[in-house]
Order: sequence, then C-alpha cells, then structure tokens
Amino acid sequence: MKNWKMTKLASIATLALAATLGLAACGGAPATEGSASTDEGSGEFTTLTEGTIAFATSPDYPPFENLVDGEYVGLDMDLGRAIAEELGLECEYVNIDFDGIVPAIVAGGQADAGLSGISITPDREDQVDFSTPYYVDNQAVAVMNDNTAITEDNATEALNQETVRIAVQSGSTGEEHAAEYFPNAELVSFPNFTDCFAAVQAGQADAVCGNIAVVEQMLAEAYDNEHVVYTSATGEEYAIAVSKDNPELLAAINEAIETLDENGTLDELISANMG
Amino acid sequence: MNSIHHHLARALALVALVAAGSIACLGALPAPACAMETVRCTGRPNAEDDKSAIQGATESRITLETSLDAGEGVEQLTLHIPEGTSFSTDDLAVTMLTGDDLMTREEVSYTETVDGQDLVLDFDKPLNDAGHLSVMVYGVYFPQAGGDIQVAASYVANGAEHTLENIPTIPVVGISGTEALSQWLEQQPWVQSWNENRFLRLFFDPTIMVTSFPVVLNGFFMSIAVVALAFPLGIPVALLLAFMRMSKFVLWRGIATTYVNIVRGTPLFLQIYIAFFGLPLAGINVPNFPLGVIVMMLNSGAYMCEIFRAGILAVSKGQTEAARSLGMSGAQAMFYVVLPQMFRMVIPNLTNEFITLYKDTSLLAAVGVMELVMYARTIVASTGSITPYIVAAVFYLVITLPLSKITRHLEERALGHRTRRRTPAAASAAPTSKEA
Repeated sequence: MKNWKMTKLASIATLALAATLGLAACGGAPATEGSASTDEGSGEFTTLTEGTIAFATSPDYPPFENLVDGEYVGLDMDLGRAIAEELGLECEYVNIDFDGIVPAIVAGGQADAGLSGISITPDREDQVDFSTPYYVDNQAVAVMNDNTAITEDNATEALNQETVRIAVQSGSTGEEHAAEYFPNAELVSFPNFTDCFAAVQAGQADAVCGNIAVVEQMLAEAYDNEHVVYTSATGEEYAIAVSKDNPELLAAINEAIETLDENGTLDELISANMG
Repeated sequence: MNSIHHHLARALALVALVAAGSIACLGALPAPACAMETVRCTGRPNAEDDKSAIQGATESRITLETSLDAGEGVEQLTLHIPEGTSFSTDDLAVTMLTGDDLMTREEVSYTETVDGQDLVLDFDKPLNDAGHLSVMVYGVYFPQAGGDIQVAASYVANGAEHTLENIPTIPVVGISGTEALSQWLEQQPWVQSWNENRFLRLFFDPTIMVTSFPVVLNGFFMSIAVVALAFPLGIPVALLLAFMRMSKFVLWRGIATTYVNIVRGTPLFLQIYIAFFGLPLAGINVPNFPLGVIVMMLNSGAYMCEIFRAGILAVSKGQTEAARSLGMSGAQAMFYVVLPQMFRMVIPNLTNEFITLYKDTSLLAAVGVMELVMYARTIVASTGSITPYIVAAVFYLVITLPLSKITRHLEERALGHRTRRRTPAAASAAPTSKEA
C-alpha cells in the first residue's frame, strides 16, 4: 500500500513539474498548433482550434451580447458570426465574465479574441491589441423614477455625494467613469451588468453607470421604472481584443471588418440590433 | 490616433507660425466678451485599493472640460501643468461636445507644442460653436508625495489672451509603501527576467504581488468577518433545527425537514441571489454585509443541523437512560449529558463546515460584497495578471490549512480515545488498520 502511494505521489509530482515546465516553455512563443490560412492569402493566422474562431464574451450586455433561449444574440454576436464567415471559420462563443475577458486573452488558451462591447482604453491597449473600432458609445447614469434626490438637473452634483451608491460592472469603463467624475460616491461592483440594474431595483444601489446603448436597452426592455439622469459623450470606441502574440489574426479580423464596413453589412447589423 | 500622428508631422512645419501667432496674441487687447468657463478638471483614479483615489508616481490622465459660447473664436489653449508632474502628448484627445445635451462629439483638429510644463494647442480653425471643449492628457505622472495639483490654463480668443478661472485642484494622494516597493521591484533586473517568462508573469508577478497584498487583505478581513459572525450564529439555528427534526410533533419535524432539504438541495449561489435581489423586491431592505452574514448563517445552519442530529443520535442511548434514572428530566439529560458528549464528537465535522463556509464567502463576490475574491478580481481586471488570484488563494490557505490539520489531529485523538476502551484483541488490530 505504502509503496503504491509513493509511486503515485512521485508520478503526480512529475506531472505537475512537467505541466509547469510545459506551460513555461510555450509561454514565450505564440501557439503553433491549429493553423488556418485566409482565402485572400493575407498571411497565416492561428486559432486555438483549427477551423474555429472562439470569441470570449460576457452575455449580459444587450443589445451587444445577450443570451436569449440559450442563443447568443446582439450586435457583437452577429458581427462575430459575420467575421467568422469572412474568414471561412466556424464561430464559437466562450462565456467569460467581463472583467475576465482581457486577462483571458492575455493568458491565451480560452479564446482567440474578446468580443464583448470592449472600449479601447490606453490601459487595455497595454495588455492586448485592438481591431478597428466598429461602434462608438457614451456613458449614462440611470436611477429609479421615484428618486427625487437625483434628477436630470442636478445629476452631476447629486451623484457625487458620499451617501450615493453607484452600481457598476467590474472592470468596465462605466466603473472608471464613475470613479473619476463621482469620486465621493460609493461604487458597488458587480460581475454582471444586468445585476447592476437589479441592484438599483432592490435598493442595493441608488444609480447605475454604464454605456448608454446598454442602459437604454435595459430600461426599455426590463426596467421601465428607471430613467436616465446623466449622459456624457465619452465617445468610447468598441473594438475586438486580440492577443499581442497573434498579429496575424488581428490583421485578418481587421480585413474582415473593413469588408463588412464597405459592403454595408456592419451598418445593417447596427440598425438591426439597435432598436 | 492617426490624426495625432498626422498632426505631429505637421507640427514641425507650423512651429514658426505658432510662435509668431503667440507673440501677436500677447500684444493684443482683451476682447470684451469672454465666457470660456471651467466645467471640470479631474485626474483619472489609478489606485488599486481605493477606486476613486488618484495617487502619485502612477500613470494617470488629466481631463479638462470647459464650456464655450457661440462665436467665441478660441484659437489657442495653453495648459500649464505644475512642476513635478510629467505628461505625454501620446493619445492626447481634444474633442468638442456640442448639441443641447452635449452628446455630439466633434474631433478638433489642432497642433500641439510642448514648452516645458506648458502644453499649447493651436486650433486649425477657431472654435466658434457653443458647447464643451474636452482635453484629455494621457501619460500623466503626478508627484510621488501627492498634494493638491493646480492645473492652470489660458486661451486666446479673437486675438486676445484670457486666463481660465476657477480650475479646481486635483487631489493626489501620496504613493503607498507597497506601490513604491512595486515600482522599485519593476526596475530590478531579476524581476524583469522573471517576468519575461509568460507563465511566471501571469501567475507570480512580484510587482503585482506586493501591490495586491494589502488590497486583498481588506477582502480577507471582510471574509473573516462574515464567517466569524455567520458560523457561531448558525450553531443555535442548527441546534433548534436538529431538535425540531427529532421532535415527536409532525409539524415541527415537517418544517425542519423541509427547510433542511431545500437549503441543502439548492446551490448556495442561488440562495445568495434570491436573498440579495429578491428580498428587497419584497420590501425587505437589509444592507449588504448583514444580509451576507444572514444568508451564510441560514445556509450553514441547515448543514450543521444534520451534523448535530447525527451526533445526538450517536450518543449511546444508555447515557440518556442513566441520566433519567438519576432523576434528571428529559431536557436536563439532553443539556447536561447528551449535548456535551455530542459536541466533542462533532468538533471535526464542525471544523470542516467552518472551512467550507469560509471558502463559500467567495460566492458573495457576485452580489457586490467586497470580499477576498472581489478585491482580487478588480486587480485582475486592471492588470490582466492572474497573480492577485494566487494572492487570494494564499489568504484562504492561511486559514484552511491549519484548520484541516487541527481537524485531522482531533479525529486521530477521537480514534485513539476509542481504541483505549476496546478489548486488547481489537486494540492490537487498530494500528494495522490505521496504517493501511
């Protein structure tokens, strides 16, 4: 019995060591397995699984990404499928919480690219490469209709109070926006953006801050007892995040976006999804 | 971005022209109508432990937003950033926000020149639209010691120079010790070569380890506070449930059994969601922390109920009978004879339950309770490194490893206790079975 245990322990240790070394070894260079070449011959790019492009997305962000009856729907999701078609690949979505998407792309192994209403920010640009932007969005803050303390007229000051709790999505530009412009308020972070709205409903927070298209969509679809009191034209550009180790894939995605932009598909998708 | 590079190229050609223009402006008389006003001047928060704090010696961004009247004809804007604060013109963003709700963005074309601490923007066309002008300067490093940073600005409109009044100061806090240590580490050759390996950088980046430690520590205290309250409070709940389950009355038995089955049969995660988003809808408003404690208490109460029930049933029936024969009432027998023995028996199981409960506090991250995992998450999101999760793991192990060791010790002692009472034959057999 003892001997068996020892051998087992030893083999586990060897495995662990091998795994560590293996990870460390392949850390330096981009993965070489699973390659696919574009029809246009714009250089070879690699994806995790040959013939498939996997996008990491956090489906809590209508009208960009959302799960309806288990289906991924929204502008980003349609765009992802259109890009995959352009590249001649199968499209696959990987559900990752928003604040985990950029780290997942940096780490690799889970998805080829991040497609989840990700705004280009200098901080994120330090970690990943961004494609050509496909949509521009701004920030908005919504409160309950019966909230008389925070109104459209006084929102900028009323939101910046110590007694105000603002619900934000962890790792989002809404979180950064609220932290910068309402530094006195208390921020309550949620992994899912939809939960921010539920938190306002539940009185766990007084306001919710996030991208305007999503705020408006959420208010129209589910929370008609909340209204927008503050908007700011931050002009954030949404783009697809790709690992810095995979410039070939970035180039291919950019080429696909360009084609979709030129042939009007992108505009069609935008008008189809933005009600 | 492209336009900036484009303008950078053009900047050289225009330098002479700009210089001449500035001199001309200085000599001109102030125009009567000048109404460019400060809307806000902020720094981008960059601290890891406090999301709205701006700290020195760490990359930040200055945003200056001013309001303009129609026909103001602003030709040039000069930002004076105080000595000790460095900035870069990469990613510089200058935008006009127009329209009734200021929601229309227009890129402004300009040429920028840097003169010491002055950042001069010469607009290709004078700004004549009513609206807000927003200037974002990236790559800003405030002084390490912190302090209130006063940005000054002046502008040239219709040939006259004006000073922009009422610019609020930017409150900058001094850099924390760990942040300074992290920046020092970043300069060390061994750290640099360590981080060149992607695996090590992602999971064990020393610079992120030192900065995330104090931040995650806040979450550690929160997790400990939740479990330190929920666990002891869960014990009376569990005892009550255990007595109800062993009651002669069908109603009590039914209530307790249903409760225990529902709580044990559904995920804690779901229970947390229901409590946090459901209860307030029903008009019950409880702040985050007490609500977290209550949910964890009610959940662990159901699990501990089963531990206690099993423990009570395991106490030999002879004990109760002996106590009763000494004249004790049923309740007395239970409290003075059965329960003390039961508690001693179930301590290892209770410790395990404590460990489980402590680990399960991580689920509260999903509903905005700032505990261990949530703090780690926020740093992972801003740095793209997994290191903070590793730091969080250490904080869990600090509690769980010693406790498991104690449990094992207690279990062994309980086992040893029993073997002593056994017959010599059984006792001699025990060590062999233990070794297997």
